[in-house]
Amino acid sequence: MSQQKQELNSVIPDLRELSLERLAELGDSVLAHSIALYRQRLKETGMPLNSFTARI
Amino acid sequence: MLTTHSLSADAFAELASGAGDTAVVGQLRAAQLSKQLMLLHVVARAADRVDPPSRATAAFRAAYQLLAQARAADPGAVAQALCLPHVGSWAHDCLAALDSGAPPDFGYLAAVAAAAAVPLGIGFELDAPVRGGRMPLPGLGAIQVAASTDGWVRLSSDGERLRIGGHIDVPCATLVPDDGSADPAPHWRGTPLIRAVADGQAWEVLLEDADPYLDRFALRMLTGLTKAEVTHWRQRIQAAWELLVRHHEWAAGPIAAGVPVVVPLVPRSDHDSATSPAAFGAIATSQPPSPVIMAETLVHEFQHIKLCGVLDMLPLIKPSDERGYAPWRDDPRPLGGILQGVYAFTGIVRFWNVQRRVETEPDAILHASALYERWRLEVDPVAGALLSSDSLTATGARFVAAMREHGRRPEAEPVPAEAAQSAREVALDHRLTWQLMHVTCDAAEVARLAAAYQCGESLGAESLPAGRIEEDNRKVDSIPRSRLLAMRFQDPGRYQRLSAADVPELAPADALLVCGDAKAAVAAYRAALLDKPDPAAWIGLALALHRLPATPTRPVFAAHLPLLYEVHACMARGGSHADPLELAAWFQ
Repeated sequence: MSQQKQELNSVIPDLRELSLERLAELGDSVLAHSIALYRQRLKETGMPLNSFTARI
Repeated sequence: MLTTHSLSADAFAELASGAGDTAVVGQLRAAQLSKQLMLLHVVARAADRVDPPSRATAAFRAAYQLLAQARAADPGAVAQALCLPHVGSWAHDCLAALDSGAPPDFGYLAAVAAAAAVPLGIGFELDAPVRGGRMPLPGLGAIQVAASTDGWVRLSSDGERLRIGGHIDVPCATLVPDDGSADPAPHWRGTPLIRAVADGQAWEVLLEDADPYLDRFALRMLTGLTKAEVTHWRQRIQAAWELLVRHHEWAAGPIAAGVPVVVPLVPRSDHDSATSPAAFGAIATSQPPSPVIMAETLVHEFQHIKLCGVLDMLPLIKPSDERGYAPWRDDPRPLGGILQGVYAFTGIVRFWNVQRRVETEPDAILHASALYERWRLEVDPVAGALLSSDSLTATGARFVAAMREHGRRPEAEPVPAEAAQSAREVALDHRLTWQLMHVTCDAAEVARLAAAYQCGESLGAESLPAGRIEEDNRKVDSIPRSRLLAMRFQDPGRYQRLSAADVPELAPADALLVCGDAKAAVAAYRAALLDKPDPAAWIGLALALHRLPATPTRPVFAAHLPLLYEVHACMARGGSHADPLELAAWFQ
């Protein structure tokens, strides 16, 4: 498979099949990396968390 | 071991081309559900750390357990509830509050959980917050608990009836959105629900006019719509939906799959619309002036929603403070905003390309054709600027390159000459106006060039100094002229009824340009500039020259206008008023 045809892995963990009880049992560390990346992305793209209404 | 969401190569390619069918939108929505769960986890951990527990954290805990119960009973229904933009917006604001050290609004999850449990007939008891006398059930409506009070109420449901505090008792079956088919139950106001149907294809969308978490746009939400206002919105959305289903099928299905909420905005003189990355699935708009503009607005804003979904999954932009030219804005924009804008315009171009063939009235054809040409022209240079900016990640560069490539595909049916000329002129006017407002040149270089010109030296093969962006560096007073130039296709009927006398703020040279006498306009702008260096007159001169047959001097105006202006102004400050055309010829 060429690189162009490969799936692109995202930074969002797939939590769809996880029950909320199980989600609650996950410690801080399991999702910490994904959450940090998410927070970072918001800041990097010029969309600060406290003024999140920009359009274009 | 957790896996991560992925985007298939085909989905990536489709999205990069500006499209994306319902299956692709499904991939974005699936990632959004996980994102909501991830943020819910963050808020839950924060609630756990509050010691001793507060009423709000206790309500959050109870709500979390109720959601878990509801999810076990009907995962699809709870997924839909969690994917509502109300919830995304709340979760985002919780994260922002936590980052700033403020307590998040834990209690809102009680409203979310109750709204998920009520339609499923699940019994529960929990405390929920009341704001302004209302207790919202996001996605359903709100219960009027008391007049304008804030506090808490006890909710108790046996799955059949919901009791609120000690005095309100309503059947759960009545707690539904208001589709206009039934009288509202006492104490209940259902969120207006619009069921648009065309050729058997349906779109169900909430008109959210109350929830505070969706009142988050630059313009305020139009709250408490009257019955007549809701009817008007229904008619407008229905008409737009018919247009989308019948002529823009590429957009209709995905919009129905990806937009569960429209937020009405308080109207201003111009039509406004917006999306927020925090509220995936919500389009905010003032009521557009026509079904066509409503349809265009939906296409436009849905592009932003899709790109927000992609950006949540894949980093496309690198950290950067760089700003640049965006043809749809008057101010320099961050590169992330430019990417959002150009992506929106890939959809808008596609919309008007179809619409120019759908329209039958001459003015509507001119309008659609000119808008198609106006934005088609911009996709390539803006994408090119992004690609050469070093602001994109490798994935981002692939995305933008594919978007640019798609925009370059030749279109068989040419744009009528009048529409093409108007669109190109308005595009040039915008770019030159932006440059004179925000681009400045090195003062020493300007002075050196001015001296060289006055000494009669040749510029030779010398490369000209590049400008740099300096926001609001100059004032350019050309709004009446620019509005008239755009009015030729934005509102052709009104434009034809106008005369120069109707616009007294036009300069004499502007009046000549607007009236179509380009040769006389060149002479008038030239005379005006011999008198004083006025940025608006320089732009007018460039526009007038672009209406005449091409000359070797003309490209200088498009490529170096800020430098021309500054050298001319530098000489004027020294008492020498250079002829603008001779100065431009010196630069060629």
